[in-house]
Amino acid sequence: MNKLADKYLREGMVPTKACQGCAIGAIEMWLLQAIDELGLKKEDVIFGAGIGCVGRMTFATWGGDNFGATHGRAMAVATGLKMAQPDKKILLVVGDGDAASIGTSHLIHAARRNVGMTVICEDNMGYESTGGQFSPTTPNGYVTNSSPYGMVEQSFDPCDVVIAAGATFVAETTSVQWRQTVKIVKKAMQNDGFSFVHIRFPCIENFGAQALGSRDPIVGMDWIYDHTKGKTKDGNDTEFAWETGIKHDASNSRPEYSKMLRDVNARVRSDMAASS
Amino acid sequence: MASDEKTLPEELVAPWAEWQVNYSDGKRLLEAGTYALTEGAIAAGLGVFAGYPITPATDIAEFMSKRLPQIDGYYLQAEDELAGMHMCAGASLGGQKAMTATSGPGYTLMHDAYGWAIVNEIPVVVVDAMRVGPVSGITGAPGQGEFYVSRYCSHGGNIETIVLSPNSVQETFWLTIDAFNLAERFRTVVTILTDQVVADMSEDLFLPSNYNELSEIVVPRRHNMEMPFFPANSSEIDLAPNVIGEGTGVCVSPYTHTEEGYDIENMEAQWAQTFRLINKIRHHKEEILRYEAVGLEDAEVVAVAYGATARTVKTAVLEARNQGIKAGFLRLISLWPFPDELFEQDLNYLVCELNYDGQLVREVMRAAPNRESVHFMGKSGELHTVAEVCTALDSVAKHQRMPEQAYIWTEVS
Repeated sequence: MNKLADKYLREGMVPTKACQGCAIGAIEMWLLQAIDELGLKKEDVIFGAGIGCVGRMTFATWGGDNFGATHGRAMAVATGLKMAQPDKKILLVVGDGDAASIGTSHLIHAARRNVGMTVICEDNMGYESTGGQFSPTTPNGYVTNSSPYGMVEQSFDPCDVVIAAGATFVAETTSVQWRQTVKIVKKAMQNDGFSFVHIRFPCIENFGAQALGSRDPIVGMDWIYDHTKGKTKDGNDTEFAWETGIKHDASNSRPEYSKMLRDVNARVRSDMAASS
Repeated sequence: MASDEKTLPEELVAPWAEWQVNYSDGKRLLEAGTYALTEGAIAAGLGVFAGYPITPATDIAEFMSKRLPQIDGYYLQAEDELAGMHMCAGASLGGQKAMTATSGPGYTLMHDAYGWAIVNEIPVVVVDAMRVGPVSGITGAPGQGEFYVSRYCSHGGNIETIVLSPNSVQETFWLTIDAFNLAERFRTVVTILTDQVVADMSEDLFLPSNYNELSEIVVPRRHNMEMPFFPANSSEIDLAPNVIGEGTGVCVSPYTHTEEGYDIENMEAQWAQTFRLINKIRHHKEEILRYEAVGLEDAEVVAVAYGATARTVKTAVLEARNQGIKAGFLRLISLWPFPDELFEQDLNYLVCELNYDGQLVREVMRAAPNRESVHFMGKSGELHTVAEVCTALDSVAKHQRMPEQAYIWTEVS
């Protein structure tokens, strides 16, 4: 068995529960590599998951304490949890539905408050566990099962949103960038504050079949690779390209939320003691 | 008149019947229900309050924001009620007692978190200060429209819930401590269904001088450190709640779960989970039953009410007695699980509540031996007057039917 899986995951949860060719399992291994390189133990990390492919396939794989939240609310649950367990690293693995649609409000406000958590948004650019409908991160014009004539809405980049909201670490990467992703996740988890890592990966079953015309995992990976580089294999520019890497790094530049509240408590209680 | 009232046997079945006798060292204040609620929660060991301001529950948030830092607790002002209750569930999972407070519009947003907290057996106390609706309605007028919503506070069925309702500022204090105790003992969400009148009005409030001395009556937070995290096919109560962050390996999720908390799609697991969620409450109904009764022994007509409504209704029952009507009074404090056992006698029941659609009355019709003897007296936005209730008691006692009165609805479907 994989040494990292042996060290950090639960027996019987490896290999991944995800579809053949899906990158969810591989990305989880990269998270484990980052955790391992940081020297963190199972007991140091609380693992939270969202709803959808990413949530369901990663929930209860982590060998330590786990929660799977309701759809989009993992950031809200983690905000409360951080008050009670301020010394733990909270790692949330959520999808584009959780972060960029139903739970965006919680994402924004967790970023604004600088709550100590690392949110990994594994973005397969659609609602794939419900059969492949477009999401707010589906590229404009792409065909899905709920955009048979092409997605008419403008998509958005959740990184831009959390940067504007005040996140202290924001990065974007893809499922074809192993080493970069591990480095980024390590930096994200070293920020005592709100970190957001956006990782795009292809859904083979639905997005592949509908938008790319193939369920061949290589076609999906190639599509991600091309749009990461901005060039197709034959040297043409792609219709759009993602800018990956660290987008904003203000790690440890302002106090973490639960620490701010503890500081207020200390001030209030010391004033009370002085005046009594 | 006063001597006649004293002859009526009164009964209060609630833990604080004893508590308020045992704890007499303290201070007397003139304060609001929201204040009593805040202090009750703090006396019960509250660690985290997370909520979104809404009339008439806003004062709870304001009091909490002042008081919690003083006791090293945390006031979180959430982005919405959905977030507020999820934050509470997260804080409780981390080992802190947690509470949120809202009114109807915010209450409907909490259903997502309700289901999650209930299925994962997370103790949380939720306050709903009801106002007249639907939706925003009139923000400063009382309502009793969430009687059923508080029972069916999550989708999907397969749950029982615990709901308590106070009728005075003083009772709000004790009942809040009680709500936290039940949340711990049953490992579930306990809802305090109060209303705009009881929340906003100020009246006499006794507070014990030292909350530490309440340790005999406050159920402390414990941590379950071992399997089973979710005992299947068990109705056992007084189990320690699960905790995240202490390395037990517990798993908490929105899915049907195994005893470890693993998601599972299997009917035996679904049945075992349902058995637990329903029967831990049904098999211990006697631990939850709280009510006040006056003059039931010889009553021919019993007025039934809860919350602020019960205040004028009780006065009306005493007045009716003075007029020679054999009236009784039954105030429900525990609304859910519904106390069927209080309606075993074949009497005339006059159910007074603050809605025109008829909610509490439907449960009384179901529980009472004779549906035809259950009468509805619905008002909306303002309390029943003593005169209105006296008139109705007289008519039901003499003619077994409701009189016509302005702005009072008597039809139930």
